[in-house]
Amino acid sequence: MGMVKDIFVGGWSLLAGMWVTIRRIYRPVVTVQYPRRYLEMSPSYRGHIEFKSFPETGTHNCVACGTCMRFCPTNVIKVQGEKIHTHSEKRASLYFIDFSHCSLCGLCVVNCPTQTLQFSDEYDMAHFSRWDGVVDLIRRLEESA
Amino acid sequence: MTNQMLEPITEQTYYLNMGPQHPSTHGVLRLFLKLDGEYIVEADPIIGYGHRGHEKMAESHLYEQFLPNSSRMDYLSGLLFNHGYVAAVEKMAGIEVPPRAEYIRVICAELNRISSHLLWFGTYIMDLGGFTPFLYCFDDRENILDILDHVSGSRLTYSYCRFGGVAKDLDDEFISATRQFIERLRSRWDDYHNLVTKNVIFIHRAKDVGVINRELALRFGCTGPILRGAGVAYDIRKAEPYSVYPELDFEIPTGTAGDALDRYMVRLQEMEQSLRIVEQALDRLPDGPIKAAVPHKVRPPKGDYYFAVESARGALGFYIVSDGTSYPYRLKARVPSYGNLQVLTDVLPGTLVADTISILGSIDIVVPEVDR
Repeated sequence: MGMVKDIFVGGWSLLAGMWVTIRRIYRPVVTVQYPRRYLEMSPSYRGHIEFKSFPETGTHNCVACGTCMRFCPTNVIKVQGEKIHTHSEKRASLYFIDFSHCSLCGLCVVNCPTQTLQFSDEYDMAHFSRWDGVVDLIRRLEESA
Repeated sequence: MTNQMLEPITEQTYYLNMGPQHPSTHGVLRLFLKLDGEYIVEADPIIGYGHRGHEKMAESHLYEQFLPNSSRMDYLSGLLFNHGYVAAVEKMAGIEVPPRAEYIRVICAELNRISSHLLWFGTYIMDLGGFTPFLYCFDDRENILDILDHVSGSRLTYSYCRFGGVAKDLDDEFISATRQFIERLRSRWDDYHNLVTKNVIFIHRAKDVGVINRELALRFGCTGPILRGAGVAYDIRKAEPYSVYPELDFEIPTGTAGDALDRYMVRLQEMEQSLRIVEQALDRLPDGPIKAAVPHKVRPPKGDYYFAVESARGALGFYIVSDGTSYPYRLKARVPSYGNLQVLTDVLPGTLVADTISILGSIDIVVPEVDR
């Protein structure tokens, strides 16, 4: 008798499971067909860093102090600055990042004294060469302007 | 069924490597099995294939610079590891965290715990041969990832907790999305139970399989759902309360026998308890700052400190020795999966090879966390 009951209960549990999957067929599709449709990135998405452009000056505000370079855990950032003449402020003349090593912790953005760094919304960074991960932030800012 | 074949009938035992590249070992874990036919005589988990030297790396990094490493140890509950490390350093340096930040951490950490358990649920059932539940719970998990992505900007390795607070404040969209998610997941329990928990095939493959009883769990230092499945109601959130957990009302689900089915039930009930915690924390979320004023470089005073949190897999502790500089002298992470994995040496002998997958799945290990 117990065996008959087991068979009945077991068979019923399988049918109940089937019913869950059958009902799912008539629910809306949850996936997005990627190359044809794109999802919207979240507003706080962290891509690689880029320069903020300040409306007062029309350009970035990097003084090449090197704080980001020293705080970076994986030595992603290389920044150099120069003075246009002796008494002028130092300005960044070279700012490269190697995104292939970046872990997107955001320490550079948090610690920047002039708040000139921000996260970009770049996300499809698959490339064929490791050099393609190197981004020139100054050129990037000039091209976007 | 277990232990009846411990004495080999013939001397024709042989060795089999399961892993390091095996689709059901959840990472680069190598199980060195001594087999007598279909039965396991000896099992030896061999670890270290994913060793990246996180603890050594900490010694040459600033306290801040180790932050991204913490979520890379256990990529499934990255925020819980984040929280553990940050809270340990805050305890060392005596940093007061604003109440709003503590609540935000708890909300995000519990969401992360649910997402980790949902992924375990899917992969465990997939190990047993059922593919459909995997897709359903990934649908739900996707929802959590979107919510956490909205606030932290990352989907897996959140460097969201910062010393003295969190990186970004919650907005109304986050709160309404989280409340919607709580409703949604609660409406899913019936489906999960009908599809999996009551399924006769699942019950036969999980009941009385991989029994880790109380003594065994305590001997190997197992924590988390394994220990609770064996009937010990030990949870760091209750045993050594931290953050705002003492103010929140939740229960610790426990099992009785300590088999795979008990661990399964404990995890499902834990998800429901986590939903309760998130709900209460959202109701009580205070206003105020989200970050205390902390110097750029934290310099904790000399001494050694230990701080433990409950990760999705058990007790996670950070033991940090400070020599008064801004670099840790030594950092040791006590990870839950390490003890949970070693118990396999005692559990696997006497079981079938087919059950190895079930047992390995039911203890829910993350191998990079063991190797670190």
